[in-house]
Amino acid sequence: MRRKLPAVLVCLAGAALALSSGAAAGTGGLAPEDPVTPGAGDIEQIYFLLSVIGAVVLLFVVVPLATFVVRSRGRGRSREEEGPQVRGNTRLEIAWTLVPVVLVAIVIAFVVYKAPGIELSDQASARDTLSIDVEGRRYYWQYVYPNGVVGIDRLRVPAGQTVNLDLTAWEGDVIHSFWVPALGGKFDAVPGQTQDFTFRATKPGVYEGVCGEFCGIQHAAMTVEVEVMERDAFADWLEGEDEAQRGGDSDLGEQEWEGVCSKCHRLAGQGEPYIGPNLAATQLRNAESIEAIVRNGQGSMPPVGGGWSDRQMDALTTYLSEELAPRAEGGGGTDGG
Amino acid sequence: MAASAEAPPLRPAAGPVAPVPWSAGRVTSWLTTVDHKRIGILYIATSLVFFGAGGILALLIRTQLISPSADIFARDTYNQLFTMHGTTMIFLVVVPILAGFANYFVPLMIGARDMAFPRLNALSYWLFAFGGIVLYSSWFADGGAPRAGWTSYAPLSTYSQGSGQDLWILALHILTISSLAGAINFVVTIHNMRARGMRWTRLPLFVWTVEVYAGLLIVALPALSAGITLLLLDRKLDTSFFTPTGGGDPVLYQHVFWFFGHPEVYIMILPVFGMISEIIPVFSRKPIFGYKAIVFATVGIGFLSMVVWGHHMYTTGLPSFLLIWFMVASLIIAIPTGVKIFNWVATTWRGNILLATPMLFALGFIVVFTIGGLSGVFLAAYPFDWQVHDSYFVVAHLHYVLFGGSMLGIFAGLYYWWPKMFGRMLDERLGKAHFWLTFVGFNLAFFPQHLLGLLGMPRRVYSYRDDDLWTTYNLISTIGSYIMGLGMLVFVFNIMKTRRTGRRVGNDPWRADTLEWYTTSPPPPHNFDRVPYVSSARPLRDVRRRLEGKDA
Repeated sequence: MRRKLPAVLVCLAGAALALSSGAAAGTGGLAPEDPVTPGAGDIEQIYFLLSVIGAVVLLFVVVPLATFVVRSRGRGRSREEEGPQVRGNTRLEIAWTLVPVVLVAIVIAFVVYKAPGIELSDQASARDTLSIDVEGRRYYWQYVYPNGVVGIDRLRVPAGQTVNLDLTAWEGDVIHSFWVPALGGKFDAVPGQTQDFTFRATKPGVYEGVCGEFCGIQHAAMTVEVEVMERDAFADWLEGEDEAQRGGDSDLGEQEWEGVCSKCHRLAGQGEPYIGPNLAATQLRNAESIEAIVRNGQGSMPPVGGGWSDRQMDALTTYLSEELAPRAEGGGGTDGG
Repeated sequence: MAASAEAPPLRPAAGPVAPVPWSAGRVTSWLTTVDHKRIGILYIATSLVFFGAGGILALLIRTQLISPSADIFARDTYNQLFTMHGTTMIFLVVVPILAGFANYFVPLMIGARDMAFPRLNALSYWLFAFGGIVLYSSWFADGGAPRAGWTSYAPLSTYSQGSGQDLWILALHILTISSLAGAINFVVTIHNMRARGMRWTRLPLFVWTVEVYAGLLIVALPALSAGITLLLLDRKLDTSFFTPTGGGDPVLYQHVFWFFGHPEVYIMILPVFGMISEIIPVFSRKPIFGYKAIVFATVGIGFLSMVVWGHHMYTTGLPSFLLIWFMVASLIIAIPTGVKIFNWVATTWRGNILLATPMLFALGFIVVFTIGGLSGVFLAAYPFDWQVHDSYFVVAHLHYVLFGGSMLGIFAGLYYWWPKMFGRMLDERLGKAHFWLTFVGFNLAFFPQHLLGLLGMPRRVYSYRDDDLWTTYNLISTIGSYIMGLGMLVFVFNIMKTRRTGRRVGNDPWRADTLEWYTTSPPPPHNFDRVPYVSSARPLRDVRRRLEGKDA
């Protein structure tokens, strides 16, 4: 007992610590993030089922093990003394084979029963479903709404309506994964392929996520935000944004700078170079060279704007030359890169 | 001169007394050895050196994650750290150290003089050492070490700049050949060189697991070789097997990689199951509970491990019927695994239990591995995997099975067999300190990572959300990793301290059951003067009982 005791105490203390911190702050990591879609709720139910089964199985291993070890320590007994020479017990062995079979069957049945409600594959192309093209890029997310409106990193969706994300990555890019824990599940954005992620968010709010597949140097910075809006507010926003982007007076350029460029570049005069060189005013004003580099990449910079529409490119070059160039210092970049 | 050629040599010393060959020196004899025991020790020692290197990388990773945006390493360096950590631990530590144990103990346990192909055996070792050097040389390569993760998913690895990725591919090619040659050697040895009377039902369980380990290596490794060859072609010759720009398929790489990678998981755990199945009975003074059930479970796990690779790919858009197939197959593995665990627990029932260091590590293994196995059940349920795939939940799971499982079991094996290999015991008090520091540090380091994964922290990130809970769990995890590091220092100190002063032991210090304890510690080069006829799975106990006159 004396030797097993510290382990038991440590485990208990750890569990108590975890539980108390969990009580203090939402789930505290003892369960998935509060779900805001029915699918995420179902995933949470699967998690709870597995937790109960797992806890019971763990007890059935640890309690007998601890009991046996504590009871039959050979303190002071001669090593010559053998335990009972039991080589097996058919009934017992059948029991601990069949009970796990039953448990596994329960898990499989429950998952298969819940899966259609999580996948919603029958609703992916339903008439009432809002379909949005999502492209994973190094190191940002690009959304194209049905009316052609483009968004970067922040996805806006209506509450209560089924949304289908047509997930892919640009053909010259790497694999990313779209993961917003509150929406339930993550799905890979694979270059050259598309897959559906269908969900229906019920609660308006802003939910954070991050790229779920290691994609390179700025993987950690490839965050995603989903703003679930009331249906009317969403419709108004989408219409207004459409007009603004057609007229060239939307904030798309700023979104692109924030989401695409500024994850690696700073403006000249604003501190040490980040991952790429700092950008000087003259460089920002040179729309032609900006477009060439953004479309084709250069050195270790990936072609972040390969496949962009002219409207998207214009939004960026306009923003860079008109808004940012005045804020950046003089001629060449600070390190000439 | 013509006369001197015919005349007898002038100096008699060069005559009948053979000169000491160059290969008999203290160092050269190790460099040229084909003795399975020396090769085994070389394997284990080299793996432990790489374990130190991989462990330091791990501590650096945890140090970077001590706070949400600790700027200790550049992002690119951080990516190199975790890529090298993973590659090291899997290809340069767990797989080869198990090869080392198998090298040393399979011939001894089956009563053979050596492996079937001693020189091929030496080639396996030297290829392993060479592969490790190639991988580590990548730190000095153009562009630095590889940085695409130990899985090196295409097309990220295809586009990865510099030579690090190419050296990674080269190193893995070399290691693959090494392991393949070793695996064939084990299979041939086990099939042909068993002592008289040692039928398959009397084979020590460790040898059984090595048999399955070797079989899996033979099946799985060619897939890895093929996959990384295609990756090399994509990188160097602009083919596009895995890039969509020329019609290739990035997901194909994952199929090929995990067709190797999942059997690899069992390659890394099955021999450890074998060690545990040897240690628990010896320290309980009982026979293993359900020998045949454990053998069938081992073979069953080995077979199933080849048909579950898709559970690493649930998020790539597999069709529903494949998702369900891979879930069902993966969950079925839980059943034979459970059988083994229950058998080990039952083996301790009413035994005469000695809580020596090997037993402590073995018991710690059972607890931690059970947790790791159960979190594997969580991950097999694909909708839940969608939520936590590639998150810290997965990091926690894989360390519970790979460190808490494989490494704790390997330490149990080291403490158990150390007296056989070196004729001296490791210090028990230091051994226990090593165990408790490792066990407590391990759980502190990795249990909170489950919670981080559920909170939404992805793996392979150098910074994370600035949130109290995230920061707390990460801090606990980092502290735990330092405690583990301290435990490893105790282990190193133990080795150094007992090297000259450790208690000397006889043939059989633990009153064990298998033939390696029949010979001296350490064994002579030819292993055995004679091998007793094997009439049960516990030949040494039979010998002891015959000597004690208990039964004939």
